[in-house]
Amino acid sequence: MKRRHFLLGAIGAGGALVVGWGLLPPRGRLGTAELLPPSAGRIALNAWVRIGEDGSASLVMPRVEMGQGVHTAIPMLLAEELRLPLERIRLEQPPPHAIYGNVAMWLKYLPFPPGDGAAGEESGRRRAARWLMLKVGREVGLDITAASSSISDSWPVVRMAGAVARQLIVEQAARQWHVPAAQCVLASGMVSHPKGYSAGMGAFVARAAYNVPEAEVRPTPREDWQVIGRPLPRMDLPAKTNGTARFGIDVRPPGLRFAAVRMAPVLGDDLESLDEAETLARPGVEAVVRLPAERGSTGGFAVVASDSWSARRAADAARPRWRGGGARSASSEAVLARLRAAVDTDEGFAVQSRGDLEAAFSQAAAVVEARYEVPFLAHAAMEPPNATAWLRDGWLTVWAPTQAPGPALRAAIETSGLPSRKVDLERTFVGGGFGRGLEVDIVRHAVRAAMAVPGRPVQVLWSREQDLAHDYYRPAFAARFAAALDRDGRVSGWRLRTAGDSVVLNWLSRNWLDVDAPVPDTSSSEGLFDQAYEVPARRVEHVRVRSDIPVGNWRSVGHSHNAFFIECFIDELAERAGVDPLRYRLDLLRSAPRHRAVLELAAERAGWQDPAPPGRARGIAMHECYGTIVAMVAEVEADGSPVPRVHRVCCAVDCGAVVNPGIVAQQMEGGVIFGLSAALHGRIDVEAGEVAQRGYGEAGLLRFAEAPLVETHIVQSTRPPAGVGEPGVPPIAPAVANALFALTGRRARRLPLSIA
Amino acid sequence: MEIEINGSPVAVRADPAMPLLWVLRDIVGLTGTKFGCGTGACGACTVIVDGLAMRSCVVPVSSMAGRSVSTIELLASSRGDARTRRVLEALREAWIDEQVAQCGYCQPGMLMAALGLLLEDPAPDDEAISRRMTVLCRCGTYQRVHAAILAAARRLARAA
Repeated sequence: MKRRHFLLGAIGAGGALVVGWGLLPPRGRLGTAELLPPSAGRIALNAWVRIGEDGSASLVMPRVEMGQGVHTAIPMLLAEELRLPLERIRLEQPPPHAIYGNVAMWLKYLPFPPGDGAAGEESGRRRAARWLMLKVGREVGLDITAASSSISDSWPVVRMAGAVARQLIVEQAARQWHVPAAQCVLASGMVSHPKGYSAGMGAFVARAAYNVPEAEVRPTPREDWQVIGRPLPRMDLPAKTNGTARFGIDVRPPGLRFAAVRMAPVLGDDLESLDEAETLARPGVEAVVRLPAERGSTGGFAVVASDSWSARRAADAARPRWRGGGARSASSEAVLARLRAAVDTDEGFAVQSRGDLEAAFSQAAAVVEARYEVPFLAHAAMEPPNATAWLRDGWLTVWAPTQAPGPALRAAIETSGLPSRKVDLERTFVGGGFGRGLEVDIVRHAVRAAMAVPGRPVQVLWSREQDLAHDYYRPAFAARFAAALDRDGRVSGWRLRTAGDSVVLNWLSRNWLDVDAPVPDTSSSEGLFDQAYEVPARRVEHVRVRSDIPVGNWRSVGHSHNAFFIECFIDELAERAGVDPLRYRLDLLRSAPRHRAVLELAAERAGWQDPAPPGRARGIAMHECYGTIVAMVAEVEADGSPVPRVHRVCCAVDCGAVVNPGIVAQQMEGGVIFGLSAALHGRIDVEAGEVAQRGYGEAGLLRFAEAPLVETHIVQSTRPPAGVGEPGVPPIAPAVANALFALTGRRARRLPLSIA
Repeated sequence: MEIEINGSPVAVRADPAMPLLWVLRDIVGLTGTKFGCGTGACGACTVIVDGLAMRSCVVPVSSMAGRSVSTIELLASSRGDARTRRVLEALREAWIDEQVAQCGYCQPGMLMAALGLLLEDPAPDDEAISRRMTVLCRCGTYQRVHAAILAAARRLARAA
């Protein structure tokens, strides 16, 4: 009992403990049952697991489901420990409490890790990084689903929570039956003993809740897994195939009003004036609401009406005057020009510095240099930004298809001015997250609309055009790489230099944390300093080039461009060395057997050693992203159109222990399609502060007829699981670019690709 | 005006220019059909009208008077055209067997488009599927949609 109270008290002590948290053993994050509000018929055994007297179970689920399958994979961990069919586990929304924060995301995906810089630089950076970690944990909060971290984060906690629950129930049964607990078996929700005793686990949970386990508790070992590793059907699919799945846009509190939004065409501009009376006079309109430009959003207005069509029509017919400020002179072309210039300077930070680069270059038998660049990209999730808010008698409820419930709740509290205990955030399915769901401007819009019609719920829904024009884009990036090759063609050193805006610093400043110190955002360089390639001397540098074009997290973030840069570059090195690209990489991975295994599996299943079908060529790429290693071989044809035709993609993946291989395959397929859209079509151009791409046709999404057949081969592993939501994205662009070279003899140095 | 929706007559009072999508979602209360773009570009709003797949976001409700509309909610209805429901049920079973959906937002539209395809062509080949299925999916479920359509077509052919 003492230990449990200590942990509960410690968790409440504020940000300092967030650091300690990551170091606590899994039991330290179990919390206590008191954290959960009472629930009829279900008794909590800790802050995560409830058992019903009817033998059902519920699991607190802080992570959101946006298609990546976590609402199946995470409950599978509990199903394993409780020996319960997956269908008997219900998911529960978490109460707002720091214990449900995503610690793995925060610990593993540190945007400010102390790198291998010079000593003085490092200690200063370490201090800044530590300060920032504490501040983020304390102020921004970690109730976020991102960074392919949900399984990693849940793995120790949910398994332990389930194991403790199992142990408590079994021990209680043993106590009542006067038998040794070790002889009792829990299976399919029933506890039994060889003497013939048997009862549903629900019979014991009420008494069990008062106890602590007597014996040491361990989650089920790998050799006994019955659930983990099986391709169980996803729990959310039945509802997603009959129209009953509830997305943000489907929320329907009684008396719901509908609001359309129009924001200034120029990014960051604001509303100067609007004839509200004229708009109010339109059919069905009930309110007109100003939406100020705030925290990185663009200002505008919302029209609240009795139905979406009336709201839309009135918003379109309105004649607003825009202030004429914002990013009026922002131009993506100008940004790219600045990026190209920036990589030629010596400005910025060295994220990684090892070995004697000067010696490597001065002794080089050959030097290879290349420049690359990629454009801004939009998210364009199928469900456009929306949120619903209801202000009643000083209480506010918000429903949002958000990836960031913590920041969303905070935005609702701040915008409404209400005390936090009077604000509630309800999660829904997310119709495509991809990082766009981490932005909470839409929540502010919904709360403002609700404040304009108190007592009535309002759903604010952006149009597709507004979504494309007011995104937080994947930043444009430029790269300049140089490698020194020795006489044998091996890389003895490389200098990888990139330029682009900072996603993390931009996101933090939109979410209450303005970072003035020149702390490097190492996510800008992720994928360049963290790969397993053996290069004795290396320098990875980045210069932040700020612009007024808002940037945000886009599925795989820094990896989304850096994998293209580095995997195309390695192919160029292989070509220069006169070595097959697969063999060249295997040599670079000579000290990395795990990575070699993934690469070899992809190559073998793709038939790399055999000639490609006539008219087609293959390209290969390998990338480690957020702890998961993925290799891809793309088979490409030039069929007369300006864009290469990708027929087949063979993926191999090592994501550590696999929870659900069916979901892993889905995520590889999805990552390929997402990355291929960007590789073949994606671009966002900004001219005079306005985004040029308008309708969905210009968003660059890959079409059905263009989709390759993706095969997924999983490498078995005993390591703890890493995620798969994002790692399928980075390798496809370079794999296709490398195939294009094999096909045409020309190197692609920029995206989107074309056969010019 | 009166529209038959999933086999039942529904009296609708709306601006004649209001697209069928918003009538379904906001007035009739059937939220299975989704809004993705409002311009007919993405197909998330696909429904079946008198046996043909249509993008409801660009169909004014005035043109629906007296016609028969099927939405994804046909699955929950005991009325409506029996053949249409049988094909949709076969598609849904195949969708679950193949584990098609990820985020699921486009899936009602995808299913309706597949329904339209099979109602017109019960034995489509690969090329016909690729050509006729133009609903956008950001999650990349295309290859599983393709496999599910073939599986549903085979199942229906065997049952026939």
